[in-house]
Amino acid sequence: MSTVSHRFRRTVDGWVHGWNQIGVQTKFFGKTLRSIGDVFLNYRVELIRLIAQMGLGTGALAIVGGTVAIVGFLTMSTGALVAVQGYNQFSEIGVEALTGFASAFFNVRLIAPATTAIALSATIGAGATAQLGAMRINEEIDALEVMGIRSISYLASTRVIAGVIVVIPLYCVGVLMSFWAAKLGTTAIYGQSTGVYDHYFDTFLNPIDLIWSFVQSIAMAIVIMLVHTYYGFSATGGPAGVGEAVGRAVRTSLVISAFVVVVISLAVYGQSGNFNLAG
Amino acid sequence: MVASDALAKNAAKPIRAVGGFFSMALDTFVLMFKPPFAWREFILQSWFVARVAIVPTLMLTIPYTVLLTFTFNILLTEFGAADFSGTGAALGTVSQIGPIVTVLVIAGAGATAMCADLGARTIREELDALRVMGVNPIQTLVVPRVLAATLVSLALSATVVLVGLSGAYLFCVYVQHVSPGAFVSGLTLITGPADVVIALVKAGLFGLTAGLIACYKGISVGGGPAGVGNAVNETVVFTFMALFAINVVATAVGVKATM
Repeated sequence: MSTVSHRFRRTVDGWVHGWNQIGVQTKFFGKTLRSIGDVFLNYRVELIRLIAQMGLGTGALAIVGGTVAIVGFLTMSTGALVAVQGYNQFSEIGVEALTGFASAFFNVRLIAPATTAIALSATIGAGATAQLGAMRINEEIDALEVMGIRSISYLASTRVIAGVIVVIPLYCVGVLMSFWAAKLGTTAIYGQSTGVYDHYFDTFLNPIDLIWSFVQSIAMAIVIMLVHTYYGFSATGGPAGVGEAVGRAVRTSLVISAFVVVVISLAVYGQSGNFNLAG
Repeated sequence: MVASDALAKNAAKPIRAVGGFFSMALDTFVLMFKPPFAWREFILQSWFVARVAIVPTLMLTIPYTVLLTFTFNILLTEFGAADFSGTGAALGTVSQIGPIVTVLVIAGAGATAMCADLGARTIREELDALRVMGVNPIQTLVVPRVLAATLVSLALSATVVLVGLSGAYLFCVYVQHVSPGAFVSGLTLITGPADVVIALVKAGLFGLTAGLIACYKGISVGGGPAGVGNAVNETVVFTFMALFAINVVATAVGVKATM
């Protein structure tokens, strides 16, 4: 009897802990977003330093070319998928001319936003968690508080703003790389004439879609940076804890960014589809 | 003189890391077939990776398939061919969403957890202790982990395809009002057993690569609390890059093979 009640209490405790966790996270997110104004007033230098750091990457990541190269590489490989899968699948039913259309349609709506989200969470996001986690473990964050610096606005809000600013050029690189990879794969490797490809690509490339996919990526950058800074801030348990926090943050932000993409897509394209084959 | 020394050191660093990775991979493959095999660790690690990966798998598969079928159906409705939405769903799920979600989960969830765990052991000098006792950490820790990642990755890819197709069915039939019979009969129009086999082969390769990268990064951790965090960060980036590249190559080969 006593073991049953013990186990019951533990389950309830687990639920209560999870429920409280949601509250703590929400509070942290609210505080981070509220202190954004503070950053522009007091911590502009830190903000600029972080933007430079995020664009170039730190440690071993800087050696492979920094965040820009990683985002470019990932979107390039997914863009190449459009060429490989699209061209071959379309040529099975004899309409391989439409590969340019597939690039304009799927790259903008699906592939570029989703891939950029993944790349952001892996590079900038995981980097932020690792940095903040190490600061927490070394009690540097407590030291900041003691010195009278508002740690959330100095460390978390600056990173959220820097993430949003950095994602704009990164997303441009990502979209361009996915277009180029699809075009190069289709024309140079599979041998379609560039005129045919460009014609269908230009016909179906919808500028409004492109702007919406931009909005999507900015929304994702905010969410990803919030999640990653939270996990960095709440890291516990020594060096191992930092590693675990990074893992947990990547998992959470991948799932959440997938939901953000879907919700925004359904909201934007849900009713009309915003697509006309006849032009 | 000092500056040029430092420069040479920095330039040699990535090359040394690549060399270290391949030598560890080679060691792993050789020791894989050498008894004794660490069965206990293998089963524990498989369970560990499966446990951290299952929830992200479900939570990633459902939105991505909904997004894919939704985008595809816009196109098909425009052609007046909404009945073929099953074909699109099968094609997308088996040949792309399946492998991509497997990559995300195995790299983002499995490899990170594995690297954090091994990295923590390295920091606590447990690996050195094993070596002192005459136990080879590659054989007792790395081999079972790499095999566990491969096995779980195969299982996950099957799960992703199943969950993805069920999700696409529910979304198409109940939300987008495609007739269920047309959806099911369209499933196997383009996608056949060969595509499923390719998807599974891809998943196996992903698991193997992710396991190797995670283990290499885990056993070569250095530099205190920041070290483990950075190692996990690098694991995510390098596994994503390696797996995306493998995916493109494997897709190109697979498409040629099935034509």
